[in-house]
Amino acid sequence: MKVPYVKAINDALKEEMRRDGRIVVYGEDVAEFGGIFGETRGLLEEFGPKRVRNTPIAETAIVASAAGAAMTGLRPCVELMYADFTMVAFTEIFHVVSKWRYMHGPEYKLPLVIRCASGSSNGAGAEHSNVVESLFMHAPGLTVVTPSCAYDAKGLLKSAIRSDNPVLFCEPKQLYQVKQDIADSVYESDYTIPIGAADVKRPGRDVTLVAVGLMVPRALEAAEKLSAEGIEVEVVDPRTLAPLDTDTIYQSIRKTHRAAVVEEGNKTAGVGAELAARFQEEQYDELDGPVVRIAALDVPMPYNIPMEKYAIPDVERICASIRAMMK
Amino acid sequence: MRYSKEFLLELHKNLLETRLLEEKMKDLYAQGRVPGHVHSGVGQEAAYVGTLSTRKPGDYFKLTHRPTAMPRMLGTPLEMLFGELLAKKTGNSGGRGGSLHIGELRTGVLGMSGTLGCDAGVAVGAALTIDMEDRDNIVYMFMGDGTSSRGPVYEAMNLAAAWKLPVLFICENNQYAISTHVSASIPVENALADRAAGYGMPARVADGTDVLAVYEAAEEMSAYVRSGKGPAVLECKDYRWRGHFEGDQCAYRDAAAAREWMEKRDCVKNLEAMLTEQGLLTPEEAAAMRESFDAEMEAAIAQAEAAPAMTPDEIYDGLYA
Repeated sequence: MKVPYVKAINDALKEEMRRDGRIVVYGEDVAEFGGIFGETRGLLEEFGPKRVRNTPIAETAIVASAAGAAMTGLRPCVELMYADFTMVAFTEIFHVVSKWRYMHGPEYKLPLVIRCASGSSNGAGAEHSNVVESLFMHAPGLTVVTPSCAYDAKGLLKSAIRSDNPVLFCEPKQLYQVKQDIADSVYESDYTIPIGAADVKRPGRDVTLVAVGLMVPRALEAAEKLSAEGIEVEVVDPRTLAPLDTDTIYQSIRKTHRAAVVEEGNKTAGVGAELAARFQEEQYDELDGPVVRIAALDVPMPYNIPMEKYAIPDVERICASIRAMMK
Repeated sequence: MRYSKEFLLELHKNLLETRLLEEKMKDLYAQGRVPGHVHSGVGQEAAYVGTLSTRKPGDYFKLTHRPTAMPRMLGTPLEMLFGELLAKKTGNSGGRGGSLHIGELRTGVLGMSGTLGCDAGVAVGAALTIDMEDRDNIVYMFMGDGTSSRGPVYEAMNLAAAWKLPVLFICENNQYAISTHVSASIPVENALADRAAGYGMPARVADGTDVLAVYEAAEEMSAYVRSGKGPAVLECKDYRWRGHFEGDQCAYRDAAAAREWMEKRDCVKNLEAMLTEQGLLTPEEAAAMRESFDAEMEAAIAQAEAAPAMTPDEIYDGLYA
């Protein structure tokens, strides 16, 4: 069947809530409204007002209460609407959720998921278009997941909900309506995808291109074009940014000897900065050239839509960067 | 109110032991035997002991950085308490968290955030669990007057009120946020109680140096919360006897006023005088209790000092479940 990404999220929530009565879903406008992107549609009707709740606009309380509920026996899967709003609750995510177990001892477990819609879309502007993975890769104790397709989204959200560790789950909002062809028997099979496992989305011998979230479909399209020019790009989707599956990525680098990272976030101190630093520290002898970062321009996201599109990497910019590496 | 002898003696025991622990911790710090900071709660015991004396099995507690001793009253052994304070493997987090993070979930202690107030929502989350499980329990959420000005506290109070969750928000108003007096930072007379109406919560203010007055107010407010009517506020007024942390000389305040609080409003001394007058406790018995608890503390400290500390190969342990 053709499965939109947003349906995969919705189905993962429903299937997990049917399986485990301790799962609660709450956040801003998640109940009757069903989430502003429709991710939680139908949950209230099926699971009732105790397990599916609207909250006030109170991100710090949403996140901190998820921690308190999780350590006392519930399994909250809360929503922060826009990824940008994680910054309202930065302390609660960085100090409370991520460090609680370490600070208080192994008796404390925080099985919770914080979902958010991330990245740019159609003139949402500077405060509703951010991706935040790089900020939270800096938080020891936190798991950071960004699926790039419907199949991964469903399998990873299920794993995140079943994990006994706190997970920040980022959903690139430009992907919500993107459909993926998945066999019915597979989609309905209660499959999960392990946290911390990267996926080689396309094999190639010449360049390893690590692509995150929205950049995965663009990297695949770029790889198709470059293939026609004789450049074979291996596209690796980390899927989990923290912990990072360096085994899969390094295996690819040892084959291609060239590496680039493409992300939707700002270039400075972004995901690519961290990955490039690790690659050169740990795989220096395998690399035939510098690790290239392909990222958003270091500007607040402009409201002007052509400029918004210009600010983040597109297929042409990815192709140009890879071609330059091969010269 | 009339109280049984057993109740009064139990209250006294908890108050005295909390006092002795707080004094012991500041002494250990002065002797250079504590690796981190000590936020002594000497003089502030009644607000916590009085309130916590209304607890029932299954309740949860969000404590604060002072008095550090409170987990003891809730059931954490002294060996573990001193183990954590001295950063040893016998502490609840093996010395990873430190003095602010002493406590055990099995006793209902939720833990606390060193970024004060960011944990108010944690208490609300625990109350959500109680609500989902339809239990007859409540969450005690303690904060100081300084924390009462933080935004996350109000997001948490608002959420608890909107969802009618069983949280008792307790403000121990000791008048000082490090060096800043409440008169300079809080525009109302009662730091939290006067702001409770904004969330539709009933509030009571008690003399935080009178353990029975605290108990009575806490009994009323905890009964309200326990009955399912929603959250409530209790404010206990007292005075921070010592500096914000040990080493703070309190040069910013009037030493004579401080002395007056310590002499006239000593919660332990005043309760002991009352019990002696009623013939329930002799000065000799009180002295014997002090001596015996001191020996208990010394044994626990000796055990903690002899215990092994975390090593580099264990630094990542406990980060993930």
